[in-house]
Amino acid sequence: MSGAGRLSAQIGIVVGIFLAWEAAVQTGVANPRIVPPPSQVLPMALAMLGDPEVLHHLWITSAQVMLAFVLVAPLGVAIGLLLGESDYFGRAFKPFFYFVASVPKSVFLPVFILAFGIGFTQKVAFGMFQAIFVLVISAIAAADSVSADYLKMARAYGASRRQIYQDIYLPAMLPVIVEGLRLGMIFNITGVLFAEMYVSRAGLGHLVANWGMSFEMVKLFAGILLAAVLSIAVNESLRWYEKRIGAWRG
Amino acid sequence: MARLTVVAEERDGAGGGEANLRADGVTHVFETAGGPLMAVTDVSFTVEEGTFVGLVGPSGCGKSSLLQMMAGLLNPTEGRIVMGEEEIREPRPAEIGVVFQESSLLPWKSARENVEFPLYLRGVERSVREKKALEMLDLVGLGEFAERRPHELSGGMKQRVAIARGFCQDPSVLLMDEPFAALDEQTRMTLGDELLQIWERHKKTVVFVTHSLTEAVYLCDKVLVMSARPGRILKEIDIALPRPRTYDLMATETFGRLRAEIWELIRGGDRP
Ligand SMILES: Nc1ncnc2c1ncn2[C@@H]1O[C@H](COP(=O)(O)OP(=O)(O)OP(=O)(O)O)[C@@H](O)[C@H]1O
Ligand SMILES: [Mg+2]
Repeated sequence: MSGAGRLSAQIGIVVGIFLAWEAAVQTGVANPRIVPPPSQVLPMALAMLGDPEVLHHLWITSAQVMLAFVLVAPLGVAIGLLLGESDYFGRAFKPFFYFVASVPKSVFLPVFILAFGIGFTQKVAFGMFQAIFVLVISAIAAADSVSADYLKMARAYGASRRQIYQDIYLPAMLPVIVEGLRLGMIFNITGVLFAEMYVSRAGLGHLVANWGMSFEMVKLFAGILLAAVLSIAVNESLRWYEKRIGAWRG
Repeated sequence: MARLTVVAEERDGAGGGEANLRADGVTHVFETAGGPLMAVTDVSFTVEEGTFVGLVGPSGCGKSSLLQMMAGLLNPTEGRIVMGEEEIREPRPAEIGVVFQESSLLPWKSARENVEFPLYLRGVERSVREKKALEMLDLVGLGEFAERRPHELSGGMKQRVAIARGFCQDPSVLLMDEPFAALDEQTRMTLGDELLQIWERHKKTVVFVTHSLTEAVYLCDKVLVMSARPGRILKEIDIALPRPRTYDLMATETFGRLRAEIWELIRGGDRP
């Protein structure tokens, strides 16, 4: 299917879902007190984007997400590459990361509250914690994906150490690392929003949790919609970049 | 054939036995988790400049190890590899080209970028190396595919790219480790012929590892037959067939006899 064809099909599906949703509420299949119709939710979401208070909370969430990502991305990738490239560290610590990666991180949230309080720092720390495992594991995979054949070939043709890093390791690993960054970002957003919903005084997660508890369903759904649209936008732009630099993977 | 002249011009300076490649009592022992593993032992031979020499032997007998030592990628535990007067202990990209199996093309680079990679590593100016790479791709019949990435090429085309890369810096020695192993019989015969045509013009020294005895006899001036691991040279067999080689040679008695002789050696050498 062509790019344009696929895009219009995707837009069609989204429009279709909204129409079905609207129809379900209008015909009484869905209870409007629990599921408000998109004809109310969409205008509310747009109004929120002009509401300074909501924007303030959105900004706090974004700042936490971005700070957590800026801190955890280099850390996670560096640890992963170290574990992937060094036999010694790899053998000692790889199993640890695989084990802990399989534990649901949410159960650690109370520990983060005790350690960091319920403010900005705790949200950032918890976002980082959520993201670091997938970052490390995908960086290990990236290091493993550099074929020994490429290295041998490069050495045979006289590549210097710097050239081997710059012209073999980097391009070979980049698509896998960017894929890891994208997944790490999703985990990071999940972590920050979850922590905000659990206990906090600010942030999109805090708003959504409050609207839910006070049965403000239109606002709740508008908040969910904003969170969804923002996450999808971040994810898709990283995926676009990933595709572009990884086109050679065929 | 103007493009061939360009290649030939740059060949000056590589004359007078300088590209004789010699192994002197070469032994290589790998240190493995399960203890030392002797890959080849006391191997000696000479590859004369400008000749096409085959290396055959049972799987695991140390052919690749030997080739890597000739490429300077691996050092002998004992003995030495000598080119002209100098011992080889590290890669010599300007003089020794290596053609590996197909997996050695960089998948994120186009065919042209792969071919010019050795020149890029040496810091050759972009326009110069592009021109050279395109010449080389023309030489192997892939001029039209210069901007394709490896995943868009067939196995045979990828191997042609690897050969073009091997020739790109115009080395005096070309080491080839089973370059056609992953290809079907027809493609490998065609590529073998193409390789011979290029070689007849440039007369580089070629060391060619193969599992195919037919290929070895068809292509080579001399075939070194190795024993099972630890690899030793069982015999050097001169292939006294006229050049240029043509397919009808395969039907001759001499061809059959040479092929049978190599097979006997390998089979016998396989038994302890
Ligand atoms: N890097 C290495 N470390 C340890 N052992 C190795 C290494 N490379 C090769 N060997 C061992 O050395 C022996 C010779 O290997 P080599 O690859 O040279 O054989 P080969 O003749 O090329 O085999 P094939 O025909 O299957 O390609 C084998 O037993 C192999 O297991
Ligand atoms: Mg081999």
